[in-house]
Amino acid sequence: MIISPNNSPLIKVSQLSKIFSNKQALDKVNFEIVKGEPVALVGPNGAGKTTLFSLICGYIQPSAGQISILGHQAGSAATFGKIAALPQDAQLDPRFSIAHQLKFYAQLQGFNKKKSQFEAERTLELVGLKEVLNEKPDSLSHGMRKRVTIAQALIGTPEIVMLDEATAGLDPLHAREVRQLVANLSSEITFILSSHDLSELERLCQQILFLEHGVLRQHQNSSNDSSNQKQQTFITLQMANNIPQFEQSLLAIAQVSNVVQTQDKEYLLTVNPSIKLTNDHIPIDIQILKLCHDNKWIYRQLINGKTLENRLFN
Amino acid sequence: MSKLNHIEQSLIRIWALAKFELIRLFLTKRGMVAILAFVTAWFIILYYPVNSAVNIVSSDNFRDMVEDTFGILGLSALLNWQVSEFTIYWLIALYFFPVFALGASSDQTCADRTRGTLRFISLRATRNEIILGRFIGQVVIIAILILLTLVATTTLAWWRESALLVPALLKASQLFIQLIIIVLPFIALTSFFNSFLRSAKLTSVVTLLFFGLGSLLIGLISYQLSSANYLNYIFPGVQLSDVVGQDKLTVVDFLIPLIQTCCYLALASMFMKRSAL
Repeated sequence: MIISPNNSPLIKVSQLSKIFSNKQALDKVNFEIVKGEPVALVGPNGAGKTTLFSLICGYIQPSAGQISILGHQAGSAATFGKIAALPQDAQLDPRFSIAHQLKFYAQLQGFNKKKSQFEAERTLELVGLKEVLNEKPDSLSHGMRKRVTIAQALIGTPEIVMLDEATAGLDPLHAREVRQLVANLSSEITFILSSHDLSELERLCQQILFLEHGVLRQHQNSSNDSSNQKQQTFITLQMANNIPQFEQSLLAIAQVSNVVQTQDKEYLLTVNPSIKLTNDHIPIDIQILKLCHDNKWIYRQLINGKTLENRLFN
Repeated sequence: MSKLNHIEQSLIRIWALAKFELIRLFLTKRGMVAILAFVTAWFIILYYPVNSAVNIVSSDNFRDMVEDTFGILGLSALLNWQVSEFTIYWLIALYFFPVFALGASSDQTCADRTRGTLRFISLRATRNEIILGRFIGQVVIIAILILLTLVATTTLAWWRESALLVPALLKASQLFIQLIIIVLPFIALTSFFNSFLRSAKLTSVVTLLFFGLGSLLIGLISYQLSSANYLNYIFPGVQLSDVVGQDKLTVVDFLIPLIQTCCYLALASMFMKRSAL
């Protein structure tokens, strides 16, 4: 499955399988990731996300199949400085200051003493923690430690940064800062994000890798969404309150061919653009808003398309 | 050119890893406690037996005891050393440093693996570089400590008699090289254990079992099969009884620890490559 055949892939995974003592963690997974928007790696617990993450980083060896990182084997010296990661639960050494450890990582990447000091300060500034430069990890809160480990992933000029549950355990403000950081850097770095927070991934990622029971169920981006669904589009409508007979009211709009309540106060509308407009060429979203306005129904959000959650599970 | 560049980069990474080991010893609390214990032990050793070496070595009782008890090991040659301080130093250092090296190097990669820190490092250095870097770091640490004790012993001899400075320096240089070669396989052994064990304590326990139960097991096998005696060459320090007397030293006495070191590092590399980080 190729996202964009025009670009050479950053990561190419072919027939990748991993077996842990008779348990199939990954089963013949194939995909390619090219430089571009952040990629979401999603799936339920035990789906194989962390296994895939560990294989790409070279932490574990595959049982079968191949992984190519920028044309090189995963874990090989040629990928050093080009791929960086925040592995889940990995911690810095509590005995050394943050500066010491970041400088050490920078020196391993080939920076000299002076430049490694600059890199330590630069990356800590990126995550808003320049003031903890000389602190030890144990003196920081969980969230701060997480941000420091994100800083280590940004040392140098990596082309790929893999963040496993980067915002888990962060307060909303700092989680937002991390998302902003990813968004700001995504023109230079291709991020691969693993998270259970689908709304977070939805905001950041255009490409999705959905794993379930070790199998890659979906591999899509916004462009192939639209190419597959030229005949029908979707609108997601989130209301403030439950409204009786709401589905019927929506179905009364000519272009709406189907309405499904996906969860409490949330509706997925299937829109068929080929149906001839009857209401003086008023666009469908305006018709929906007018319907709400006329009936004094308060809507919370109108989303053009499916939410990530609906894309994966409905 | 490109290959040379790769080798240069690899050496830079190995040295960066080795330097970090030095910092770990000299700038962390645990490291400082280890140094303090080392300094205390060696203060006692230098102050009592080494400082009194001339009296001890020249006493008839000591000479008789050495010749009667250890004569079989050729220890009597040590009694003729010009700098008596080094006679006592050698007898203690020969066994002290291997044991100290086992303890000091028991955490080369295992705590980092358990904590996940090795995951950060392995994206910047190969597993072989990590093993070699940590190993070299530990060797440099032990070398510094050996050097300090040799300098202290030389100073004691010089203090006693100024004419002994040159012979003491020569003997110190000779013993320095010998002691380094002797401790190498002990550090390589813990490198190997660290490639699959997950804590320094466990490494110490396994090391103890390796030397204790291992030699017992080989002894039992040798009882049935005499050629099994060669299995004793898996133990670092197997040549110590041959070198303790400093009499009739051969190349083999130095080759054994060097080969053992290479073998244990190769095993560490094999295990590390297969292990999950």
